[in-house]
Amino acid sequence: MKRIDFVTLLRIALGGVFIYAAVPKIADPVAFAGSVAAYRILPYFWNYVAAAVLPFLELICGVLLVLGIRVRTGALIIGALNLVFMVALASAIVRGLDIDCGCFRQGGEKTTPWLALARDAVFLAMAAAVLRYERLRAG
Amino acid sequence: MTRMRSIHPLPEIALVVLLAALIGVAWNKTLLTDAWRGETSKAAVIAQPAQAAEAVPMPVGLAQAKELHDSGQAVLVDARSADSFTKEHITGALSLPLAIAGGKKPPLPKNVTPDTIIIAYCNGFSCHDSMELGKFLIKAGYRQVFVFEGGLPEWRDAGYPTAGGAS
Repeated sequence: MKRIDFVTLLRIALGGVFIYAAVPKIADPVAFAGSVAAYRILPYFWNYVAAAVLPFLELICGVLLVLGIRVRTGALIIGALNLVFMVALASAIVRGLDIDCGCFRQGGEKTTPWLALARDAVFLAMAAAVLRYERLRAG
Repeated sequence: MTRMRSIHPLPEIALVVLLAALIGVAWNKTLLTDAWRGETSKAAVIAQPAQAAEAVPMPVGLAQAKELHDSGQAVLVDARSADSFTKEHITGALSLPLAIAGGKKPPLPKNVTPDTIIIAYCNGFSCHDSMELGKFLIKAGYRQVFVFEGGLPEWRDAGYPTAGGAS
């Protein structure tokens, strides 16, 4: 029973983090587009597309995890997103870009790519734990 | 207990991604349309009344900013501090730090009329001052205000001319 409670908690926490991350980006897509563009990975227009779509993907998956609906789908997408984020952050570090990660609230205090990378690794581990428990439960 | 959940997650993942894409694009339709125009067609950007609904300056890309600058159609304004401007700025740009632009009337030369194309810039995408300055200029009655979001870094990286004291 203890174990189940912990994973449930983990699931809700992870979902909450992604909802919390999505809301300010949805509120200010232009600023988020700027954050995406700062990575200099996508061509100009696609920064805006990413800024338009990504927050809603985070929001939907966050809600799925919090409510415990389609948990496997939500956790898989969130895990994949985290992998993508980590690759982007790593590439920013390798290219020596001094940018804000743009992960949560846009503007304001700067979060360095290294810190963001560490944080994403934690989220990735959380998603993996949630997935593992789902598989056990379903199996 | 041995019942297998045979539903493959891939279709469901595709569905969620598609849903997010649809909502995201619909939610940001205006922004995406503007960004698309800003990228592909200079004519479309300029032909459009700059501030149709909301007082937010539209983005222009590097190529457009360069073209408008070179042809003398646009005035570039630098939203950064006077110090930064002195060190380095886009050749031909005017200094209008956001901090001092907050007055009733922005201190721009007389030949800058409400119909002059004004392109605000600052330190690139991580800098929001150009956007703020753009909004302010629109409020002040300038009708053709744009923001070059790549700013000085993108301009410099492209090898375009800058001026200033340092080196």
